[in-house]
Amino acid sequence: MTDGQENRLEAGRESAGTLGPTGSARSMEPLRSSGTTDPEGRTGVGQRSVLEVEHLVKQYPGADVPVLNDISFRIPKGKVFVVLGPSGSGKSTLLRTIAGLEPIQGGRILLDGRTVESGDASKGVRAPRGNRVSGTRSTDLRTRIGMVFQSYDLFPNKTVLDNVTMAPVLVQKRSRDEARKEALELLDRVGLADRKDAWPNELSGGQRQRVAICRALILHPEIMLFDEVTAALDPEMVREVLQVILELADQGLTMMIVTHEMAFARGIADHIVLLDRGSLVEESDDPERFFTDPATERARQFLSTFTYERRRGDGVGEQAHQAGQGNV
Amino acid sequence: MNWSFMAQNAHFFVNAAYVTVFISFFGVVFAILIGVVCAALEVSHVPILSPVTRGYIELSRNTPLLVQLYFLYFGLPKLGISWSAQTCAVVGLAFLGGSYMAEAMRGGLEAVPRIQRESARVLGFSPRQTLTHIILPQALSSAIPGVVANVIFLVKESSVVSAIALADVMYVTKDLMGISYDTYESLALLIITYLIILLPISVIGTVLERRFDYARR
Repeated sequence: MTDGQENRLEAGRESAGTLGPTGSARSMEPLRSSGTTDPEGRTGVGQRSVLEVEHLVKQYPGADVPVLNDISFRIPKGKVFVVLGPSGSGKSTLLRTIAGLEPIQGGRILLDGRTVESGDASKGVRAPRGNRVSGTRSTDLRTRIGMVFQSYDLFPNKTVLDNVTMAPVLVQKRSRDEARKEALELLDRVGLADRKDAWPNELSGGQRQRVAICRALILHPEIMLFDEVTAALDPEMVREVLQVILELADQGLTMMIVTHEMAFARGIADHIVLLDRGSLVEESDDPERFFTDPATERARQFLSTFTYERRRGDGVGEQAHQAGQGNV
Repeated sequence: MNWSFMAQNAHFFVNAAYVTVFISFFGVVFAILIGVVCAALEVSHVPILSPVTRGYIELSRNTPLLVQLYFLYFGLPKLGISWSAQTCAVVGLAFLGGSYMAEAMRGGLEAVPRIQRESARVLGFSPRQTLTHIILPQALSSAIPGVVANVIFLVKESSVVSAIALADVMYVTKDLMGISYDTYESLALLIITYLIILLPISVIGTVLERRFDYARR
């Protein structure tokens, strides 16, 4: 610990608003309640896309059907893009292809209008090279996409602070002091500044996920990918993590979120898609509408799995599975 | 129990303990070096070298140390290679221990979850940075208990070298029993000597395990 740490912490608190990874100088607002729209009214049409996916095809070697089949979408700057879907629909695989952890067999992935990954369908399914993931992306490119995984992925051999400062120091060659300062500010923002010297195994699941978010944010990614980040958490820890993500949304961070938390999805999404068996079956710019009155039968069906109703005596078999009550 | 006999002959065990410690130490050091190289070759799937490594491991751990020592001490001279008993003992222990160490270390490397590699990759780490900062420290942590157990095992196995006329503690004990017929006292001295050599190793091992146990800390 260097001298003046307390001052830094203090400074970090005061300047927290300037820490938004997008450089937004908006001051930190109170947590937004579920269901309301961003007071700044995020603009939609005509804004530049941070991420564009065009006709993406992902197929594992030896598999008959692709895991992801002709997926296209774009995520404008500052927008929150939520992906819903049943298990095995390809949600996580989609995030992994975007993060560069899986090679793709067709289509393109563009970051800021620049192609970062493309697959040639005519070449068929490429055999993976050993145990490696596709290794074409530059370091710079990889740090521009942040990702938080479902399971705890903190490095257990590093303290909380080292987990956060390692990448900026080793990868971005930033000074140790500067990385430390920003790490402490970020940890303070998620309420974990006092745990900076703790080991990951001393933290609760929710605390670990919050550290993982800080570890990704410190690289100032242009987009953050969240892969069911609360799926492995006890219910009471879910909220502390989701609130952090809500704050980031309010600060204008572009995000792509895979989640099973319907109330959270409804509250945070600007754009919502339903993925089923590798295809986008419904896309909506109106999350409220999607949850109350989905356009497709598949979406209705999916949302109904989140409601529970008893069969009462009258109207046997007449199950009123209203997707509108999918707000669990 | 003949205490005065034990007191009179304890000094033989001190000298013999030097032999045991000497060959064990070098045997263990070389075994660890062989283990590191073999574990690296095994997990990296190098053509030719990886299968050769596998063959060595199976040969080494499925033949008794006594047979390996006989081969080195009595067999090799027929092929024109004559090593001293000490060299044979160190080589034999390293040959046997190498495979045990390799397996312990391979287990450590494979125990590192895939997500650790992926997280490092998403954060922009190079493969080398991932290896030195993430994979190796964590692999070491899981490998230590196995490596420590192997060290203790090898020190104990060194008693076999008495069969090629190396004057270790086992050899001295057999001598003493033959001369004095004080079997009970001689074996008691032998056990005490091994405990004096091995207990500190055991304690150090436990300390190391605790120090590098990231999962429980």
